[in-house]
Amino acid sequence: MAASIRLLARRIVRDAFRTINSSVSVRIVSSSCPSNLSACRCFSDGAADKSTHFGFETVSEGEKAERVYKVFESVAQKYDVMNDAMSLGVHRLWKDMLLHVMNPQPGIRLLDVAGGTGDISFRFLNYVRSQQERVARRTARANQTPSWQEISTSYTTPTEGIEMETEARESRAVVCDINKEMLKVGKQKAESMGVSSGLSWVVGDAEELPFDDDQFDVYTIAFGIRNVTHIDLALQEAVRVLKPGGRFMCLEFSKVTNPLLARLYDAYSFQMIPVLGEVIAGDWKSYQYLVESIRKFPDQETFKQMIEDAGLFSVRYHNLTGGVVALHSGFKL
Amino acid sequence: NMIFSTMRLLQHCFREFGMVVPKTSSPQCNGLRRGLHCAALRLQEDKDKSIPVPPSSTASPTTTFHEHYQAHPSEHDTATPAQEAAAAEEAPQPNISYVDQSGEQGEDYETEEQLQVRILNAALDFVPLHGWTVEAISAGAETLGLSAASSGMFQNGAGDLVLHFIAQSNTQLTEQLAEHHNQVQLGQAEPKKTADFLRDAVETRLRMLTPYINNWPQALSILFLPHNIPNSLKHLSTLVDDIWYYAGDRSTDLNWYTKRAALTGIYNTTELVMVQDSSEDFQDTWNFLDNRIQDIANMADATKRVTSTGEAVVQGLMGAAVTVRMLERICMFEMHRIKDYNNTLTA
Repeated sequence: MAASIRLLARRIVRDAFRTINSSVSVRIVSSSCPSNLSACRCFSDGAADKSTHFGFETVSEGEKAERVYKVFESVAQKYDVMNDAMSLGVHRLWKDMLLHVMNPQPGIRLLDVAGGTGDISFRFLNYVRSQQERVARRTARANQTPSWQEISTSYTTPTEGIEMETEARESRAVVCDINKEMLKVGKQKAESMGVSSGLSWVVGDAEELPFDDDQFDVYTIAFGIRNVTHIDLALQEAVRVLKPGGRFMCLEFSKVTNPLLARLYDAYSFQMIPVLGEVIAGDWKSYQYLVESIRKFPDQETFKQMIEDAGLFSVRYHNLTGGVVALHSGFKL
Repeated sequence: NMIFSTMRLLQHCFREFGMVVPKTSSPQCNGLRRGLHCAALRLQEDKDKSIPVPPSSTASPTTTFHEHYQAHPSEHDTATPAQEAAAAEEAPQPNISYVDQSGEQGEDYETEEQLQVRILNAALDFVPLHGWTVEAISAGAETLGLSAASSGMFQNGAGDLVLHFIAQSNTQLTEQLAEHHNQVQLGQAEPKKTADFLRDAVETRLRMLTPYINNWPQALSILFLPHNIPNSLKHLSTLVDDIWYYAGDRSTDLNWYTKRAALTGIYNTTELVMVQDSSEDFQDTWNFLDNRIQDIANMADATKRVTSTGEAVVQGLMGAAVTVRMLERICMFEMHRIKDYNNTLTA
């Protein structure tokens, strides 16, 4: 109820701004404050004039954000089910690979942008917890045959500082998404899984994150960056909120290299996926947008160049499933 | 002698630039051919990397690279260890395009490789606590003010740390050997006998392991992983080659191979003894080392004797063969005579 009113208000405000800005080119940049987001949107110069792609359609930039919002609002409830159906469960492997390459150490802070239903964050927390358990098991095994010296010192001194250290270094994950519906679904999942500690849910725009500088160790954006209107702005924001030495990781659909596989993939994408969308989620258009937006996204090398231009170093990418998905990674040095 | 020195300089030259020259007289050839694939991949990867411009002042590594780039390889031999020192300092080999650009960059820019070297150096302090693992690299990065996530830069993980440590230790050893060589040439120090020289060189190199000796088995197991074997073999063969070079070996025949094989065997076995040695200051290890070097020395003498004996033996055998052949002929001849005599009697 409140969400729909807020949406309506946002749309009215946006229309108002658009009429004002059609004559005056003004850039409004708000300071990082989450409550202002619904009121202030970042308009680039002459937003009404500049056009971008929405799938294979051409729309104005302001309109794209709104239409993307609508797409995800309508698919939010069936998002996870559709992911499994469309990728035949392989998306889980892609996300597991993202975590494996990330190899997070305990105590790390993760920002999961366009995190939506929280897949990456849940995996992150599991990974870190299992690592901590492994370390605890290793120390326990090492302590199983202590020498007389160690036994006597353990009686005299208090508990080892190392355990307290790992407790103090608790990892935290922040899920940030522009779409409240997706976050709602994610929160419900968290409750049903019983995950409560170390997880926060924040509404935010990837082009203008509501966080201070130098906050996070790892910034991930999984299957979200192709929906962002200005990808370079999102990359710049990523560089801003990352700590020095922090890592940017992006999982996104990309160009398939093998021509035979490309043909199969195209056929599957355009014939099967919208049909699945209609049958399972009752929404043909959203899934048509999905496959079209994949084709519009730049390929691996171009995206790597964009990441380097934003100021990240040691940029690499791994192709997963023959190029269907690419995992890009860069460091803020 | 000229040919030999040119060969050696070419070898050093190519080793620095990470290229492989298919030379027939090199036992490193096999390891390097396996490493060719890695070197080619690395060159390709380095070409993809961008050259960063973060402002942080590290003047000295850049100047050593100036040295490395400008010092002409055909100058005197003492320049080559310095070049090797600059080149071997980094776990990833510097590619050619990077060297070209470093000459143009200012002195206060640090490259990715230099930052990686700094992180790995800081990580070595945490090895006794965390072992040779990515946790040690993360802890090292944190001491430099970087996030723990920057350990993801090292795709080989713990392998990068171990290989960096080995390269660094080898460089230190080569510098010490070069220093001693200089002093001998200036007449300030006495030249050592070969056996003593080898013994001292191996002991110096193994003593660099003492701070990490408790975790060294883990490092050895990392070095034995298939993707690390080309690199670890390369480092080992370079080490052994350098030690023999400074010991004064200028052989150009089969001895080149046998000497290096022998020293590789001695080094590896002594390292393994050291890992499980619990005596005071590793005295058992040094005794073992002495005995092995003595064995090699004895075998060298015996080989000389055996060679001359061998020649004598071969000649003796040939003489025996000739004698036997002659005896055979005499027998045949006699038999024919007896037959003829019988025939004449019966006829």
